[in-house]
Amino acid sequence: METYQIYSLTSAVLFVIGIGGVFITRHFIKKIIATMIMGGGVFLSFVSFAERDALTFADPVPHALVITGIVVAVASAAFALALARRIYQQTGDISFSNDK
Amino acid sequence: MSLIIDGLLAILAIYLALQSLLAPRLTQSVFLFFAFGLALALAWIRLAAVDVAITEAAIAAGFLGVLFLDALRDFAPRIPAKNEAVQKQYSKSQTKSLFLPRLTLWAGLGLFLLIALEAVWKIPEGGGLTAAAGTLLPESGVENPVTAVLLNFRAYDTWLEMGVILIGLLAVFAAGGKMAYRKPGVASQDPLLRQVILFFTPVLFLFGAFLLYIGKTGPGGAFQAGVLWGAIGILLHLGGWPFIALMPRWLGQLLLTVGLGFFLVLGFLFMAAGGALFEYPPAYAGILILIIETLAAISIAAALSAIFALLNQIGEEADEIESTT
Repeated sequence: METYQIYSLTSAVLFVIGIGGVFITRHFIKKIIATMIMGGGVFLSFVSFAERDALTFADPVPHALVITGIVVAVASAAFALALARRIYQQTGDISFSNDK
Repeated sequence: MSLIIDGLLAILAIYLALQSLLAPRLTQSVFLFFAFGLALALAWIRLAAVDVAITEAAIAAGFLGVLFLDALRDFAPRIPAKNEAVQKQYSKSQTKSLFLPRLTLWAGLGLFLLIALEAVWKIPEGGGLTAAAGTLLPESGVENPVTAVLLNFRAYDTWLEMGVILIGLLAVFAAGGKMAYRKPGVASQDPLLRQVILFFTPVLFLFGAFLLYIGKTGPGGAFQAGVLWGAIGILLHLGGWPFIALMPRWLGQLLLTVGLGFFLVLGFLFMAAGGALFEYPPAYAGILILIIETLAAISIAAALSAIFALLNQIGEEADEIESTT
């Protein structure tokens, strides 16, 4: 078993943990964290295959895509946080369920 | 030996991800997510992706962690214990009627895990684009292949990404319901915070500039530098000097858009000269990339500190509402 295989399998597990978290957790912030974990899984699979395709250096295209992706994911998470905090301020809700 | 390290790191990342979702308290979740980001950063280093590791540690763990911590001011202290008890009771009473959907959800997740594992196991050997990038590297004007891809071969992506950050800032602006940044209040009297700001501002600036310049030959570049410079903005904001509110409106807008704008003007100039969008002449590619990276880092730093300032402002208004009622 090689290094990239360990991490590519880990990436699948992380993605599933994230997608499960999106469904199962209730609190807004936990849902946002879950989407970030999903993203982490996707990025990990990209970079693990970049390592597999390495010659003298690892494949730079997935690396560049992942750097772009991390920044975009953080920008969207910041927007989600702004929405969550605004919802809490206006309604007092901390989750999508009806109970308060 | 390396297998053991990789295996342990993989287990650590999975454990931290699980725990950050399962932890009963929100504060724990946020700190475990911090740790998860840093564990991932170690994994990037093991995969020889140092550029990604710096970005992950700086933006995904650092900057996003700060935003989450700031959000805790809203959420964490004001959820009374009673509320949680009510929620638990609610979820207990619902357990029976939700049994079938839950079973389906877990079975679906298990199935999905198997599919995902099989998918990543069977990704065909394609060879990737390493060889193509390697051949073109001398023409790109930089020696670090990742910087070459980011700012030369796939400059289009990077340009659009700067647009995404700007749109993210506008969206946060809109969601916050603000007309303007808060004008500065009193400078913080906390002696420790003042010292930290005095000490770290030059260090962060220098380190950011170093990362920006070294991006030409080694790991580093505009995004990493931008986040470090953004950290200066966040520190100053916390210390009571929100520079983005202090500067005139046009200057703030200029700083936010200069990266995107310069990129765009440059791209169209190349098109006017008969080339493709972002097709740099190889002779000037190195210096052009450095200028673009500097301006991009300035824009990213301004955008990140503005996002923090706006999110911070949402919390402060909530505090005021709380204190008046």
